[in-house]
Amino acid sequence: MKKVHLAFAATLLGATAMAAPAHADVKIGLLAGVSGPIAPMAPPMIDAAQLAVQQVNEQGGILDGQKLVTVVGDSACNPQNATDAATKAVNIEGVIAIVGPYCSGAVLAAANSVTVPAGITMITPSGTSPEISRLDDKDLVYRTVPSDDFQGRALARTLLERGTDRVAVAYLNNDYGKGLAEAFKSEFEERGGEITAFAAHEDGKASYRSDLAELAAGGADTLVIFDYGDGAGLTMLRQALENGFFENFVGGDGMKSDAPIKALGAENLTTFTASSPVGETSQALELFNEVFKAAGGDPDAIFVTTSYDATFLAALAIEKAGGDKTKVAEALRSVSDGRGEVILPGEWRKAKELIAAGTDIDYEGAAGDHDFDERGDVPGAYALFKVEDGAFVVDAEMK
Amino acid sequence: MEWLGLLNYAVFMAIFICIYALLAIGLNIQWGFTGLFNAGIAGFFAVGAYTSAILTSPPEAGRVGGFDMPVPVGWAGAMVLAALVAWPIGKVCLRFRSDYLAIATIGIAEIIRLVIKSEDWLTGSARGITGIPRPFGDLPYIHSQLAYLALVAGVLLVVYLLVERQIRSPWGRMMRAIRDNELAARAMGKDVPSRRLEAFVFGAALMGLGGALFAHLNRAITPEAIDPMVATFLVWIMLILGGSGNNRGAILGVAVVWVIWSFSEILTDRFPPEVAVKAKYIRVFLIGLMLQVVLRFRPEGILPEPQRGAAAKEKR
Amino acid sequence: MDFLEFVNFYIVPGLVLGSIYALGAVGITLVFAILRYAHLAHGDMATLGAFVAFAAVTLAGVPLYAALPIAMVATALVAVGIDRLFYDYLRERPRIVTVMASLGVALMVRSVVQVIWGVDAETYTRGIVRPENWWGIRLKDREIATVLTMIGLVLCLQLFLMKTKWGKAMRAMSDNPNLALLSGVDNAKVVFVTWMIVGGLCAAAGFFLGLNTELKSMMGWQMLLPMFAAAILGGVGRIEGAVIGGLVVGVVEEVSVMFLPSEYKAATAFAILLVMLIVRPTGLLRGKVL
Repeated sequence: MKKVHLAFAATLLGATAMAAPAHADVKIGLLAGVSGPIAPMAPPMIDAAQLAVQQVNEQGGILDGQKLVTVVGDSACNPQNATDAATKAVNIEGVIAIVGPYCSGAVLAAANSVTVPAGITMITPSGTSPEISRLDDKDLVYRTVPSDDFQGRALARTLLERGTDRVAVAYLNNDYGKGLAEAFKSEFEERGGEITAFAAHEDGKASYRSDLAELAAGGADTLVIFDYGDGAGLTMLRQALENGFFENFVGGDGMKSDAPIKALGAENLTTFTASSPVGETSQALELFNEVFKAAGGDPDAIFVTTSYDATFLAALAIEKAGGDKTKVAEALRSVSDGRGEVILPGEWRKAKELIAAGTDIDYEGAAGDHDFDERGDVPGAYALFKVEDGAFVVDAEMK
Repeated sequence: MEWLGLLNYAVFMAIFICIYALLAIGLNIQWGFTGLFNAGIAGFFAVGAYTSAILTSPPEAGRVGGFDMPVPVGWAGAMVLAALVAWPIGKVCLRFRSDYLAIATIGIAEIIRLVIKSEDWLTGSARGITGIPRPFGDLPYIHSQLAYLALVAGVLLVVYLLVERQIRSPWGRMMRAIRDNELAARAMGKDVPSRRLEAFVFGAALMGLGGALFAHLNRAITPEAIDPMVATFLVWIMLILGGSGNNRGAILGVAVVWVIWSFSEILTDRFPPEVAVKAKYIRVFLIGLMLQVVLRFRPEGILPEPQRGAAAKEKR
Repeated sequence: MDFLEFVNFYIVPGLVLGSIYALGAVGITLVFAILRYAHLAHGDMATLGAFVAFAAVTLAGVPLYAALPIAMVATALVAVGIDRLFYDYLRERPRIVTVMASLGVALMVRSVVQVIWGVDAETYTRGIVRPENWWGIRLKDREIATVLTMIGLVLCLQLFLMKTKWGKAMRAMSDNPNLALLSGVDNAKVVFVTWMIVGGLCAAAGFFLGLNTELKSMMGWQMLLPMFAAAILGGVGRIEGAVIGGLVVGVVEEVSVMFLPSEYKAATAFAILLVMLIVRPTGLLRGKVL
């Protein structure tokens, strides 16, 4: 992954070398959890965001041909660093919009104490807590990742349809894991499924075998894991496979990571499936995957699609708002409201021309169509992925 | 526009420094003046933050409280509950010496953190508590920031003056006597365990207040805020670097460490964009290195503890 | 649940985990006993050791277990270097200053690991290893290696401390530094040897943690607090105590899942530590009161 990252940086080098004069640059803040608990997820997410920026700059730049640049800030997944990074981005760098932060607690703090008072629009690609929907945000906080609620319920319905009606659930004890697990549980049980065990775990422990033994004691042969595939979820999956605790494994979007394939081997993951958000026009996802792979990125990394979409949407909104930061939020709704000419990932030049001509556009992204509801949330459509030939492929659409 | 941005940044830093200064002064009472190795700052910070959040936020289904009380009640409640939590802990743990006390308090803080992360009915678990009112929060950005700064600076000033008075009083002299020579203090008939417990509880109450001020600043409190690195170890670095045993040193230490922490990012942002991610890792290295540099040249702290009493008078 | 299941899923993982804790706790207790401060960079030095072994396996193609001694020597040298650069001149200062310095070192070491190796989860070997059945007890070869290496290293350390001149000097420094210095013990040499041993133990802890799970840049920091709990539990300054403390913490963490909600698993190490401190403030084996 490190090499991939370097290669990616090298391809970007071409784009960044011809820097326009600094004052003409249009800046967006990228508040990434570079250090802290989700550090492994941050680099590919940043790469995906940079890809969007690169496409904008290659296809005519933003506004009057200006250069779009990102200011990366480290939110470290905690409110202390997130508010500091947001303050610097807004006040020192003068960003017009913010993509991030990556963790819900950081989103809440940065929005409440910095970006909402300052009137800056914020789009988080990975803050999944339902509390974000309830923010008193003056319509300035959005997310391209669906709230946990949608995905948990969709996964429950899909499993039942596929005939799996007895499962054990293990989840990471944070807002992401808990939100998904609770939504899954309520839907699964309401529709007649049986949950034999339901247990949280802490991140970063060296052994989850006793947890797994307790989970397996209920007799289900399917384990649903709501965790991250490059964190405790990987350790858990490994120890479950090695000790033969369960036969089938199902994960949420956090588990659709290349880390299990790389560490455990695709041959051992034949009974592993994971849900992940996709656009209704799955063409958008293919388009993104192709370009991101060509640039040296890994399309299977967690939250890369939402990160790309958030950045591309921010750029579209800035273009539509004419660079006026007070109008970005309104413009963001108008470029994604499901009305107008469809714009797919990477189609910056086309979008720019249409905006200039005053035509309505509608971005349909790699992670969904992003028709924001009144709380700035997206409903999201999902597909179930399985591992084939060392990569994730769509196994079934989810409703 | 540029200067307004710089002002906003400076005000934010000042708010942050005032809040962490409360934590550092609380720790100074415990460590600097009394010699109690409390490594569980995060625990008291958390108790204060969540207490004030529960008291002042609007009601919420499935969770205790949401009493919608005025903010000052929340702050007072934060101090009282942090003190109440500290009391039994101090009662049991203060007889452990030094490093034992440190690991015991770390352990208690971790247990508090896990309870907060897991108990839906009490703290909203991983989701945290939102909708906490912020005083002057309805004003425009810069006004609201300045008003909050005035508020926390006022609180800090009152705390500082009260603590300074207490330290200069016979009580403060006795505390230093206990710290420097427990046997002698005991031989003079001082009730050492009670005095220690007082210092521990008093310091914990200030940490609770700091937590409350932090929660109201962000209008939300989530378990990420009470990670041991940002809520315990960071405060320790600030106090030791600033000068333990000296409240002004403690405040200065907070300012220096936070400026290093925050400025280091502006520094590493000057790196070319293709190493933007690596620059963030290097930033952490720089923070560590700058701490070493300060320790190298000012190992007794930037403002060391002033010598008091006869020895100091002779020197003058 | 039958007895074998209990052994296989609770006791065996607990002992393996406990062996890793023990390797860390022995190092921590040595620093406590001889240098007399809490070394907060211990976890991140373990991470460094694990990644040095990773580099040896992936870049130089060294066989898996041969990477362990390489990592131990390299980390030992790094530990000595860190001591020279950052701890040595603080020796005459209050101990707390060195504790803070070690926190700074922890940040620096982690940063170096992240810059060189990145932040992705890595593994020494790809794929999974299923346990073999030993008369009903299910063990993996790497689990056996973890426990046996831990026991071997601790026995060597004990022999070294008991039989050799430098080992005796270390014990003398631990028991009474003033007396040791008066009797001609070379302080600088004792510190050097201590850091060589502690660095090596760090690397071993990191290596086995990585071998039994994955390598992550934060893995050592996340193990730091339970390792400290194990060291104190066993009695500060007692090598056997640290081993027992590590094993107890490991087994109790795993078994706790049967009685407590699993989100409180991480709290059990501290809960037993607190109980023990109240009942027996010197640790399981009588340690020093610092």
